[in-house]
Amino acid sequence: MERTRQTAILLGSIVLVLCILPVAASDYVLSLVLNVLMWVALTESWIILSGYTGYISLGHSAFYGLGAYMMAMAVMHLPCALVVVMAGFLSAAFAFAIGLPFLRIRGPYFVILTLGLTELMKYIFVNLEIKLGGTVGRVIMTAPGLVVLYYFILAITALATLAAYFAKNSRFGTALLSIKEDEDAANALGVNTSMYKLLAFGLSSAFPGMIGAVIALRLSYIDPYSVFNPMVSFQVIVMASLGGIAGFEGGIVGAVILTLVSEALWARYPYHYMIILGVIMILIAKFMPQGLFHPVERWLLKRARE
Amino acid sequence: MDLAVLFEVLSIGLTMGALYALIAVGLNLIYGTMRLLNIAHGELIMMGAYLTYSLFTRMGVSPLLSIFAVMLVSLVFGLLVCAGIFLPLVKESKSVGSLESTSLLVFFGISIILSNAACLVWSADIRGYSYLTKMVTIAGVSIMYNKVVAFGIALFVCVGCYLLLQKTMLGKAVRALIQDREAAQLMGINTSAIYFFSFGAGFAMAGLAGCLLSMFYEITPFIGMPYTIIAFIVVVLGGLGNLFGSLVGGFLLGLLEAIGVSVTSPGYRPILSYAVFMLVILLRPEGLFTRRKRV
Amino acid sequence: MSLLEVAGVSQYFGGVTALAEIDMTVEKGEIVGLIGSNGAGKTTLFNVIGGYYRPSGGTVRFHGEHITGMKPYLICRKGIARTFQVVRPMRNMTVLRNVMIGRLFGRDRIKTEFQAGPESERILETVGLGQMMHVLAQDLTLVDHKKLEMARALACNPELLLLDEVLAGLTATETAAAMKIVRNVQEEMGVTILMVEHVMAAVVGLCSRVIVLHYGRKIAEGTPKEITENPKVIEAYLGESIV
Repeated sequence: MERTRQTAILLGSIVLVLCILPVAASDYVLSLVLNVLMWVALTESWIILSGYTGYISLGHSAFYGLGAYMMAMAVMHLPCALVVVMAGFLSAAFAFAIGLPFLRIRGPYFVILTLGLTELMKYIFVNLEIKLGGTVGRVIMTAPGLVVLYYFILAITALATLAAYFAKNSRFGTALLSIKEDEDAANALGVNTSMYKLLAFGLSSAFPGMIGAVIALRLSYIDPYSVFNPMVSFQVIVMASLGGIAGFEGGIVGAVILTLVSEALWARYPYHYMIILGVIMILIAKFMPQGLFHPVERWLLKRARE
Repeated sequence: MDLAVLFEVLSIGLTMGALYALIAVGLNLIYGTMRLLNIAHGELIMMGAYLTYSLFTRMGVSPLLSIFAVMLVSLVFGLLVCAGIFLPLVKESKSVGSLESTSLLVFFGISIILSNAACLVWSADIRGYSYLTKMVTIAGVSIMYNKVVAFGIALFVCVGCYLLLQKTMLGKAVRALIQDREAAQLMGINTSAIYFFSFGAGFAMAGLAGCLLSMFYEITPFIGMPYTIIAFIVVVLGGLGNLFGSLVGGFLLGLLEAIGVSVTSPGYRPILSYAVFMLVILLRPEGLFTRRKRV
Repeated sequence: MSLLEVAGVSQYFGGVTALAEIDMTVEKGEIVGLIGSNGAGKTTLFNVIGGYYRPSGGTVRFHGEHITGMKPYLICRKGIARTFQVVRPMRNMTVLRNVMIGRLFGRDRIKTEFQAGPESERILETVGLGQMMHVLAQDLTLVDHKKLEMARALACNPELLLLDEVLAGLTATETAAAMKIVRNVQEEMGVTILMVEHVMAAVVGLCSRVIVLHYGRKIAEGTPKEITENPKVIEAYLGESIV
């Protein structure tokens, strides 16, 4: 009981600080925190499908790009907030639509299938843009300021984190985890695996859609090559793995660490940073495949049993 | 379509097809024997291309001679990576799922390291060189000499692969391991040796493809990913683990692309490729050339 | 009306005939044995009944209702649960959580993990895993794995339980204990059992009726005593007729 109270106080303080940050912080700090939050949201939402069910998806970028384009096309006609919400729903709807055939595919096939999806979306939009406008890429003229965007991202991140938490610690989560452990055995025990996978996919995909929509406002210029970029999916996998791929807390840890590290190194030594990143990934895969958060997890479990 | 155009399309399709086949067999070899998806395959091609470029522009070494150096370097790199990282990983992995995500992580790390190292060494600018750019006329079609040579070499290696897999003990052992790992081990097949072979040969073939490609395409440190994806498309077409399928599938994709582009426009090439690719995975994931196995 | 009715079921895989025109029934309250040499089609039949395969021909009826080719999770909810020949535990979950899956998603479809707990614990006590509730499934011994497999299937609250070689690999003492559990499940929990077995002592000791498969065909059916004296069965197992 005492520990739960402590955790609640800790979480509450963090949320409070995040909420009032714009009042005190400089644009640089706000920007940085916004970035961190964005990656946390992307990672946590990815974990809902790929961490819990084991269906590793490289398709997160596809929904991100979709959301970005939705904003680019609708921002002149509709209020931003509405477009963001719509992006979430439409991304989820798209996920439900393709989920049925896609989720019948397992293992490595699913991985490359989702990679193919991202690439296909990219080239479809390239060709669409050429057909419709002659040039590839869109400029977004009006955009809310940094503070407003910050609060958008904060809200989405909070939602994504809550979604990941409740998806795990619930009957829904048990179903998802059983799919990961042994899908056929889960079926034999009455778990409607097709339905649960689809729900996880839909829920998971809503968030990159919303984030893409908000970030489009931030970037003010988007083109298919940058928004339908598999690097987004890859970086999410790194962050999730850093934290321990199925870990809800681990996802947060991984995203925070990686974003801060990249922030420290990226601007000055982009190539060196990426090389170090690559080396880190290999080292983690080799020596701590269960993630950086795992030892902490085990320590917590031990404490809980005593 | 008149005959001249048909021949031209065929020649382009076959040339690229031979290269695609090379790339795909390398990828499939590693997947089939170790169940690892090498998403860094394209970067290996890229490195092969850059090595050839450097040897040619700095030291005047003909790309045709560089082939040996490039393949050797790639081979050694493959053996080191296998020994240092993947062999222990495969032995220690607790489940297929965790091996999959862990290995994706490692390969992704390798691809990042390679492409950014290339940026550091050669800068991100587009580079290229000219070699054997004379035009020759074969069967009424004008092709650049370097493409003919590339096709010849690639075809030679493809045929060599086929013979190796069909006729030699090593080839049979590889195919046995791909079909059933446990049974192969029980038969006394040295799985570690096969793993080394897969990595070494797979990496070497990627390096070779890069070397050949550098003769007629420009290169940047980021040409890797599209080739990785092409490799996956061919592997899926032919069947994951089906090495003969990759050989045939490579030519098939090369021809399909050439025909598709000539009928529509170059912009549609990727869409066609990905659409076909996704349809095959969804409808016939075991590949077009693999016999269907029931559970 | 029989609890389970298999009529004319055939299963072809490419050129292989795994099952050919199988007719059999299971009545409520019975323990029926299904025996045959390796490759006879026993597990294939289980897979057909359980919905993993849609048979090439024939029907499967449960309580008179067609369940042929129905999805496995629906068949579980109708009241048929199964164990697997090679145990398939959820390795990274605790023993208790494994069993709770059956409570949450099986026939009773309990809504919350909190409610599913007590009955799961009770089932674990019944099979003798009461002390191991919070152990990770991957840390169990073979015997305990078999018990978990059974407990999980029982958690689905089935009317019919399909046991696929639960006794394989057990020592004599472990086998006797397992047989007691099986008998208990039938008598006290009222579950009908169809069991594939190689351990003849168990078949003789538990089953009221035995069905013999050979190369996909049913070649005999009767009490254990009748089966062990049936010349066709003896020939199938030993490969020659003993006069």
